[in-house]
Formats: sequence, structure tokens, C-alpha cells
Amino acid sequence: MSEAVSKRRSGSTLQARTHRWGWVFVMPGILFFTAFSLYPILNAIWTSFHNKKLLSLKPPRFVGFQNYVQVFSSSDFWNSVRASAVFCLGVFVPVFCGSLLLAVLIASRRKAGRFYQLALYSPAILSSVVTASVWVLLFDPRGLANQFANALLRTSGVDYRWLSDPVMVQISTIIVYVWKTIGYYTILFVTGIGKIPATVIEASMIDGANAWQRLTRIILPLLKPTMALVSVMIFISSLKTFSTQYLFTQRGAPLAPINVLTLSIYRTALSDQNLGKASVMSLFLFAVLLFLSWIQIRAGGSGEDLE
Amino acid sequence: MRRIAGMAVLLLVSATLFAQAPVVPGVGSRKITINLWTHDDPNRSVLEKQFIAEFMAANPNITVNYNTYPSNRIFEALTTAFAANQGPDIFNVSIGNAVSFIDNGRVVPVDYKALGLKGPEELEAEYLPGTLDAVKRGSDIYGLPLELTNMCLYVNRKMLREAGFDPDRDYPRTWEDLVRLSEKIVQRNGQIITRRGFDFRYDAYPNIFIPMVEQLGGEYVSRDGKKAIIGDEAWLRALQWMKDFGPTGRNLGSPTYTAARTAFDKNNGEVAMSFSGLYQEARMKAANPDFFNSKDWMVVPFPQWKDAKKKVTANYSGHYYMVNAQSDKLRQQAAWMLIKFMLSHGDQYLEKVAILQPTRKLVDSPIFKSFPYSDVFARDFENARIVYVGKGSARLSTLLSEAIQSVMVGGVDPKVALEKLRKEAQAVLDTED
Repeated sequence: MSEAVSKRRSGSTLQARTHRWGWVFVMPGILFFTAFSLYPILNAIWTSFHNKKLLSLKPPRFVGFQNYVQVFSSSDFWNSVRASAVFCLGVFVPVFCGSLLLAVLIASRRKAGRFYQLALYSPAILSSVVTASVWVLLFDPRGLANQFANALLRTSGVDYRWLSDPVMVQISTIIVYVWKTIGYYTILFVTGIGKIPATVIEASMIDGANAWQRLTRIILPLLKPTMALVSVMIFISSLKTFSTQYLFTQRGAPLAPINVLTLSIYRTALSDQNLGKASVMSLFLFAVLLFLSWIQIRAGGSGEDLE
Repeated sequence: MRRIAGMAVLLLVSATLFAQAPVVPGVGSRKITINLWTHDDPNRSVLEKQFIAEFMAANPNITVNYNTYPSNRIFEALTTAFAANQGPDIFNVSIGNAVSFIDNGRVVPVDYKALGLKGPEELEAEYLPGTLDAVKRGSDIYGLPLELTNMCLYVNRKMLREAGFDPDRDYPRTWEDLVRLSEKIVQRNGQIITRRGFDFRYDAYPNIFIPMVEQLGGEYVSRDGKKAIIGDEAWLRALQWMKDFGPTGRNLGSPTYTAARTAFDKNNGEVAMSFSGLYQEARMKAANPDFFNSKDWMVVPFPQWKDAKKKVTANYSGHYYMVNAQSDKLRQQAAWMLIKFMLSHGDQYLEKVAILQPTRKLVDSPIFKSFPYSDVFARDFENARIVYVGKGSARLSTLLSEAIQSVMVGGVDPKVALEKLRKEAQAVLDTED
């Protein structure tokens, strides 16, 4: 009897000790998260209820829901929501379909697969500012974009107004983003395809399935968890887009069509110096990202849940 | 022996140069670091680094860190740093943005004693009337002007001649002339402009566009600072002019092409006319000395409307050096002494960077009078007003830019853009502090 109790005690001591060490190991992460994520979130919530100006040394004044009312009744804010939504959807289709297609092509090649992955991934390692600067030159009225479009569409001297037309400038930001990120998602899909057991593919081949049948009946169904994960990741990262829109507006592009939420937050905080309103917008974006992250966690944890 | 003599001469020359820099009293053995942030200008940086080296040689315990930022980013860098209470000891900022720093108590008044002055009156007496008003609150002055700039029209004489004009007789005097000449000079490959007659300074609407409105009797902000948009007719006409000029109108220019002043300096047949300040001459000289030394360019006064109600030239703007209120007293004193020392070389700033400090001494000096086309700038300056520097001036400048570009490249109707601008600008003026 006493032996059993002693065993149980030593077991619980071991468990307690393990827990203690667990806390020690996760503490740096918790401290980092608290300092750089939790505190800013709590601070943004507090600031959203105050009239806080960026340069003011006066103590912020409590204004209740005034900032929320002003932001949610502002047509500029809803224009930013529209701009972000258009950008996300505009990016999603080409990035998702393009990266999936490229991944299938790369996975089907026995030679030079690594080379193609590297080539596709290389734009992702460029800084966003550098990327946007290069594309500004390409989108110059006398730049390569017009020359290419004129050659492709067999027109002559047409200015497609990549940076000045309200619709074209949205397409331009989408093109830049797709170019920069498609390689990254291609690699995720290549990894997902690589995880599909070779035996399943081999079995289908023995059963006489052709390449199209293998793709549509075997690979794509088994790739659903990766597809769900990639979908949510594209939405989350495209909602956080900033540099391209910022740089394009600095170079004369009209603001309203590409005034995405992140740019609007930045301008409200720095140009208007209104931290209260900027915090409200940040919290709105945070809520959207939180929802998408929740979906991502579910997708990452158990792919079947989403099927 | 020759080497020793050489060293002696070098020391003597150095001692003479360094003797000009003031010694900050009370530093003793304390090590002081002064951080200075300014907008980038390669010609000016060389000069200021030289002055700082002299100042540091005279004050061995003082280290000055000189940092430059792109001119369109420095305000953001400064506001971010100040918001974190990590602002530099010395910084320069444009007039329009200086207001936020002064009104939020972020900068200190000039230390007259450290500069060897009896008070603000003595300082003001050194400058042209009104040029310190933007940084004056009550009797205190919060900044010293590094430069004040008004803009005139740079004209490529050769390109005008090639288009069949006599530059001396036919140079544009009105906004209507500018369009007429541009129509003759512009060349396009289909819709794509390959040669521009004239193009705007798209980063300087408060300097250029507001005078267009004011010439027709309108105003951005009423004199009492309470009402936005005075004179709808003037505004609509000026906005329509921009729309007609831009890619959705006559397609004579657009903000998405290379900055006109940069292209002008190259003299490669890309742009015939462009707005800029006196400082552009130094940039032209550095970028294209052959063109600068040729007789192929000239500067003419700021255009007026044919039926202008009053003569208004380009609004002037500029930059002021200011000192952080959160720096300790000794660093503030040292900072003001360094600023005064640097700015005491106004002749060198003019000669090497072509920027004008509005001191009576410099404006009356032979060096200014002998500067190419300084008389054109000086005459226009007499009729110039300062850009709007009241409440929310930075935000109002941004709103103005958005309104004009929505009309010019976004195809928005001028009436719609004006209504939006009125609503937003009025909201800025109505906001509680």
C-alpha cells in the first residue's frame, strides 16, 4: 500500500519537475510574446478609447467609443476595407492556382526540380521595397510593362496607365504581389505533394490510372489539408500588404484605389498623428486576422476538419 | 625638413579654420553626443560635415552624429522617433511640419544667450521681415532657417527654339501659355509621352497649386484659420486645368513620369520646362556642368492666369533647424551653438548648395546678386507668401495632394473632389487639440 503511494508520489514529483522545466523552456517565448505582441495589443485597445496624438506630450483624454464611431462612419475606412478585400481576392486566385499548377509541374519533373524551386522562390527573398521600386520602373509609361502589353495585345503606343488608372493600379499591385509570393506557395505545395505516399501513386499506376486521373483522383484530394493551409496563409499575408501600395502612392499613383487597411493605419498614425483612430483600425484588422488564424490553426491541426 | 614645414603649415591652416568654431562652455570633461538628423542633399552634406568636423575639433568632448534621410521620409522618421521620446537633438523639418513640433512642446526656443544675442529682436533683425514668423510663438523663436525657397520656371531655351519659339520673347507668362507651348513641344509615341513641354512639381502642391487658386481669388484656409476652401469658382477652374493637363485630358504630363526637374537637368530633350527653386542650379551644376555653363537654359517668373484677380507668385517654403526639448540643457546649448556656427556660413551654403538663408546680409551680398537668375527669384519672392503653416498643415497638404491627383489621374470630377476636400479639410480645422 505504502509502496503504491510512494510510487504515485515519486511519479507526481517527476511530473511536477517536468512541468517546472517546461515552464523554464517556454518562458523566453512567453516573455517575448508578452513584450512584443500582447502588450502592443492591450495598448492598442487602451489607445482606441483615448484621444492620443502622436507628438503630443499631454496625457491622452478618455473619449469612450468616439474613435470607433468616427472610424466606422468614415467612407475612407470602408474604402480601405474594400481595397483590402479586392486585393486579397485579386491575389488569391492567381497565387493559389498558379502555385498549385507550378508545384504539380515541378513535382512531375525528375530533373532540375530544385533549380525551378530556387528560381521561383528567389523573388520572395527580395525586400518588398526593392521589389516595388523595380516594378515602379517597369510600370513607368515608357517602361517594359507598356512595351510588353503592346507587343502582346498587338497595339501600338497605348499607355495602359499601370500606375495612374484607378483600376490598373489595383491590378499592378496584384501583379507585383503575385510575382513576389508565388514561389513561396509553390514550395509549400511541392512539400505537400512530396508527403503523399509513393505507394498510393504506384498502386494507382498499377491499376491503370493515367496522369490526369492520378492528379484529379489521388493527388488533389490528398492535398486538401495543404490547400486549406495555403488558402488561409495567402489571405493573411495579403491582408498585411503595405510596401507596394506605399511606394506606388509615393510615385504619383492615386491613393483611393489602393489605400489598403495597413496603409490607411500608417497614414492615420503618422500623417494625421491620430493614434486613437489608427488603433481602432488596427484592432479591426487584428480581429480579421485572428479569425483567419483560427481557421489556419484548424487547417494545420487537422486537415480532415475542413474537408 | 620639408615634411616638418608642411606639417606646420597644415597645423596653422587647421588652427585658423578651427578657431572659427565656438567652444561650448560648461562641457568640461563630460562626454556629449549630439545627434543631428537632416534631409539628404549630397552637396549640403559635404559642407555640413566639414563644419561639424571643425566644431568637434574645437570641442573635443563633443561628438556629433550626422544622419540624413530622404526628404519625403524625414517627417515620418522624426515623428516616430519623437513619439518614442527618442528624437534627435537637432533636426530640420519643413515649415509645414514644424508646426506640430512647436505646438506639441517638442522643441525649445532659441538660446539667445548661447548665440551671443540679447534677445529675439536682435535675432529677427538679422533676417528678412516675416521669415521667422512660421516658427514664432509669442516673442519666442523656435527655429533658425536653413533655407527658404520659392519656385520659378526653369526653361530650356534650346528646346523652345527647336519648337519654333523665341525663348526671350515667347517664354510662358501665363498658365494658358504653358499649355500652348507644351502642346507644341510635346512628342508622343501613341499615348506615351516621349518629350514633355512642361511638367509639374507633384510634391509641391502647397507651393504651386495654391497660388494658382489664390491668383483667381480663392484660398485654401481662411485668414482666421477657421474655414476651408474659399472661392469655389477659383478652385474648380484650377482643378479643371490640372485635369486637362493630365493623362485623362490633353495628356501633357503626369506624376508617374520621371520628376521633371531631374530630367530637365539632364538636357536630353525629355522636358523643356520645370518648376524648382534656386537650389536646382547647384544640382544642375553637379549633374550636368556643361548644360549649367551653357546659355541653353534660363529662369523666368512664376506664371499667372491671363485674367488673374491678383498677382501671386509661388508660395515659399523651407526648412528650419530646431532643437529637441527633451535633450538636457547642456546639449541644447551645444546644439544651438552648432546650428548657429553652421548657419553662419550662409555664403558657402549659397555658393556650393545654392540654398538661400533669408538673412539681410546674404540677400544684399554680391555673391547672391551674382548668382544666375537670383534677381528673378528675388523679385518673385517679394510677392510670395509662406505656404499654409497653421493647424493641421501636414494633413491639409496630404489632402490637397490626394484631391488633385484624384482629378488628374483618377478621372474624378473636380466638383466631387472639391466637395470631398472641403469636408475633410474642414474636419481637420474643426478637430479639437
